[in-house]
Amino acid sequence: MLNEVAVLQNYLVIGAVLFAVGLIGFIVRRNMIVMFLCAEMMLQGVSVTLVAFGRYHNNWGGQMLVLFIITVAACEAGIALALILMLFKKSGKLDIAFWQDMREAGQPPFVDRAIPEERAEERVWPRLTPAGIEPQVDEVEKEERLHRSRV
Amino acid sequence: MNWFGDVKTVCLLAAIVTGALGIWLLLPRGNRRGQIAGTLLAAVSLGLLMSLLPMMGAWVSQVLFWILAIATAVAAVATISMRSPVYSAIWFGLTLLTTAGLFLLQGAQFLGVATIVVYAGAILVTFLFVLMLAQPQGHEYYDRISWGTLPTAFAALAGVLIVGGLTYMLTNLDATAVNESIASAAVHQGDGEIFADQHMAKLGGELFSRHLISVEVAGTLLLVALVGAVAIVIQGKEPRASTAALRGGGPSDA
Repeated sequence: MLNEVAVLQNYLVIGAVLFAVGLIGFIVRRNMIVMFLCAEMMLQGVSVTLVAFGRYHNNWGGQMLVLFIITVAACEAGIALALILMLFKKSGKLDIAFWQDMREAGQPPFVDRAIPEERAEERVWPRLTPAGIEPQVDEVEKEERLHRSRV
Repeated sequence: MNWFGDVKTVCLLAAIVTGALGIWLLLPRGNRRGQIAGTLLAAVSLGLLMSLLPMMGAWVSQVLFWILAIATAVAAVATISMRSPVYSAIWFGLTLLTTAGLFLLQGAQFLGVATIVVYAGAILVTFLFVLMLAQPQGHEYYDRISWGTLPTAFAALAGVLIVGGLTYMLTNLDATAVNESIASAAVHQGDGEIFADQHMAKLGGELFSRHLISVEVAGTLLLVALVGAVAIVIQGKEPRASTAALRGGGPSDA
């Protein structure tokens, strides 16, 4: 037999962890897309909390709210996408600090103290496993492919 | 009893300190020193936090919860600490999958599937697409330094304190009093509503009866967001010649 209060406490804490980590990321990161992902993570934390409460009270209220959260998150994603694309077109980068001209009058600007050089070993890309063997193409087929209709 | 409470408080304080330090070491601050130490400290903090939580009573639920909760926390911290935003997005996808698993355990099957389809399937992929469009080479300088050392430390401390405070409050609840007040509510609601058969039928019935107006409002909101996104993107674009001719040939103010 499950102890329902303990279940609720466990899920509330993991929801709080998701929310807090998203909050930290939203404050700390400067890439606009990562900031958006962190906002979505905060929404996920709230969703976990609501579903846990819905299970505890044994009614559908929590799940209904999460359903509408997903709807609003989809709207938010569309708008954020359009905004980020517009800002990227104007500034050429995804850096949110580029837009600090919009800060309150009289505030000192944020200046990066030192920009560290990127080291060669940090340029790591995911490696895809090769899928199958590359087929052997002889000269005749190569010639034929050149003249083949492209439709 | 009092001694046990003291041990729990010390555990919680240790979890807060190690968690804040670990997350601070993991976040991008300009150099990569201390990342292994940060990983270890964050893991210790997560373990301490998990040890503070009460047992659920059934070992299957408990073990499943531990696996999913630890995977969720690890993926969430990895999302905010990855230097390359592509890796961040992929770790966030893992967070979404484990959250969907938590939903399934909690009797929210439809929401679990909807999370995977809508979040991981649509939103995340669209954002990966924009990321590849805007920043195909990755590794920009602003992903390596963020806002500097001190603001990062304060942000990490603030976030960890939220979790710590909530855990302190929750684990000190008087469980019996809460149980009694809720038991009457559960009887009133009808026993086994969430875990009964015909999950989708009941969910849909609730959605389209009690929350019908909310459904209408949500639909309107989606339409407004669609129009808004299009309006934002076409801002600043030159009107086409045919449009200008229709308006009388004058220069447009768009």
